[in-house]
Amino acid sequence: MKDKIFGVLQRVGRSFMLPIALLPVAGLLLGIGSSFTNPTTLETYGLTKFIYEGGILYTVFDIMSKTGSAVFDNLALLFAMGVAIGMAKKEKEVAALSGAIGYLIMNTAISALITAHGGVESMAENTTTSVLGITTLQMGVFGGIIVGLGVAGLHNRFYKIQLPQVLSFFGGTRFVPIITSVVYLVVGVVMFFVWPFVQMGIARLGQLVLESGYAGTWIYGTLERALIPFGLHHVFYMPFWQTELGGAMVIDGVTVQGAQNIFFAELASRGTEHFSVSATRFMSGKFPFMIFGLPAAAFAMYRAARPEKKKAAGGLLLSAALTSMLTGITEPLEFTFLFVAPLMYAVHCVLAGLSYMLMHIFNVGVGMTFSGGVIDLTLFGILQGNAKTNWIWIVIVGLAYAVVYYFVFYFMITKLDLKTPGRERDGEETKLYTRKDVDARKQSGSGSADRVSALILAGLGGKDNISDIDCCATRLRITVNDAGKVSDKLLKQSGASGVVHKGNGVQVIYGPQVSVVKSRLEDFMDTPVADDPSLLTGLTDAPEPQKSEARAAADIKLYAHMSGEVVPLEEVQDEAFSSGALGGGAAIEPSEGKLYAPCDGTVDMVFDTKHAVNIISDDGCEILLHIGIDTVKLGGKYFESHVTAGQKIRRGDLLISFDIDGIRNSGYRATTPMIVCNTEDYYSVQTVASGGVTVGELLININ
Amino acid sequence: MRTFTYTIKDELGIHARPAGLLAKTAKSLDSEITITRGDKTVGAAKLIALMGLGVKCGDTITVTISGGDEDASEKAMREFLENNL
Repeated sequence: MKDKIFGVLQRVGRSFMLPIALLPVAGLLLGIGSSFTNPTTLETYGLTKFIYEGGILYTVFDIMSKTGSAVFDNLALLFAMGVAIGMAKKEKEVAALSGAIGYLIMNTAISALITAHGGVESMAENTTTSVLGITTLQMGVFGGIIVGLGVAGLHNRFYKIQLPQVLSFFGGTRFVPIITSVVYLVVGVVMFFVWPFVQMGIARLGQLVLESGYAGTWIYGTLERALIPFGLHHVFYMPFWQTELGGAMVIDGVTVQGAQNIFFAELASRGTEHFSVSATRFMSGKFPFMIFGLPAAAFAMYRAARPEKKKAAGGLLLSAALTSMLTGITEPLEFTFLFVAPLMYAVHCVLAGLSYMLMHIFNVGVGMTFSGGVIDLTLFGILQGNAKTNWIWIVIVGLAYAVVYYFVFYFMITKLDLKTPGRERDGEETKLYTRKDVDARKQSGSGSADRVSALILAGLGGKDNISDIDCCATRLRITVNDAGKVSDKLLKQSGASGVVHKGNGVQVIYGPQVSVVKSRLEDFMDTPVADDPSLLTGLTDAPEPQKSEARAAADIKLYAHMSGEVVPLEEVQDEAFSSGALGGGAAIEPSEGKLYAPCDGTVDMVFDTKHAVNIISDDGCEILLHIGIDTVKLGGKYFESHVTAGQKIRRGDLLISFDIDGIRNSGYRATTPMIVCNTEDYYSVQTVASGGVTVGELLININ
Repeated sequence: MRTFTYTIKDELGIHARPAGLLAKTAKSLDSEITITRGDKTVGAAKLIALMGLGVKCGDTITVTISGGDEDASEKAMREFLENNL
């Protein structure tokens, strides 16, 4: 249970990354744009001559500022969709659509209730806002996260739902947006009544954090770092950055919630004299240890590396340190010592917390889009001017931090003989740990056999043969690489009512439940079983499924061994042939008493009774040609052989001539099966002709 | 390893149909089974090779069973030959 909760939380944290990844870009636009449209900045740097309202440059920066702002303004919607995508197990695009729908429906339901309740004026002050033109409750990014998580839950539960036949068009993935809209209508109604209480609660909690002063900031910073190894830090700091927990403020007449939102609102506002430290204290602390502290720690690790390994370790550490410095992405560096020296990580957490507190104490008001690298420091600290941000303290504290980190780390590594990069015992690889290493310990693959999907996959010629899968109202639409590998028979066994071929396009008709079939097939293709060629052999008409030593892909073609009517093997009036016991193949009811070679090869043997001949093709295919049914009893009468064992033959050579009428008049059938005796060596043996054929027409495809 | 001999009683010998059934039986057993006629030995599960022996009525074949559950395999092979050939 504990593991499960942890797993879900970790996935939640990761799912935040998609919308978060957008923030640096939006932040760049907003940061640069608002810096150069801010009258104070322009006057300070004497730029009013070049950049003035109505001018081209000003307009360009204004566009940048406003487009960047658009991302931050609609962050809740992005989270609704992004989290739904991140948490959905399959068919993520449907989850995204549903997330958007859920978000719109929920806010619209709230909006209708606000109107019914007497409009915005009758609600408590600062609790409403306008989202995408909808007047709704101020829910911040929480609103989006509620939608994203809920939609993902609904999606994972229902995307494979099967509805009764009449309604089955609305089944599968199509059901997800439908159920989402119904559920979020109800959620919206519930939120209207519940959320005001939550708002009060959060406001009080936020107040408490805000009033806890410097100690509160230190605890916040330490916890935030400590949660990084678990990937849970986003869950922890996001509420402070994005919701009322991080404070609420009225800026330019608009209520803004969350530390980051407050900072950016102040950034966009032209009346800001100094950024609110009550907000930036949840952010500024990152700069000193990310730009100065951690790179110094990396240098300590480099210095502590064994001389012969310095070069390898140096390359790794330098790139990790630069990443931390420039972008504020610290995981590459932190994971390097987290596993080998947890104690060092604990020290790092405490120092990081202290950094937040020091920034708070020194009244530093520098915000960030994503993390605390040089890029953000430049845009939101240096460019804003020291008067508004006190950014100079970041450098002062940072330099001290570099010294502290270097000596603390160097001392710990050498005293405790910690195995940081470049200090491993011989034979161990110098490497940076990644998130994957952490996750790998928890992953365990499981594949369940889904017979219908297995049949479809086999019928389509295996996973490698499929280039694209889609579906319409009733059909599975597949693009295959080689149409020759598709087996209609297997597809029909899987429940299809028909198969349509068009070049490399194959349409398999299942009826309205097709979207469920598609989802299951896609699930199945992700299991290891789907990669196993024996699966395919096992399902084709091979008599022995477990013999799977399939011969390589090269197709073998067998041509009609006589002129006449093609008879499917199953319809041959002899169970030895029709049951497939002898192997796969096809029969011809001859119109002429002559048997020809179906391929180039060697005659392996001619039966004494001359009614049958075995051929080994040059490709190694073992072929039995058997003229008539039970004709062994004729003892050679009516048959004349033109070849002997061991003789080389070419396709179309005459093998045996026989008297059709004589055979038929003696009470025997002249149906002549061509059997591939080693069918189990191939993926499939497929008859590709029907009706009348003449000698030499393509009859059988072997894969 | 077990061996036993059997003399074919079916007047048509091991032609296509019984060869197919014999191969199928041999494949279903977990032992390695070979059939020897004169100086030629073939795997009993290989249909084309089996037919290639050209076994006729009155011929004596030697059946060799090795590996797996030899008791059960020998019993199954004896039964098959008695009933079909």
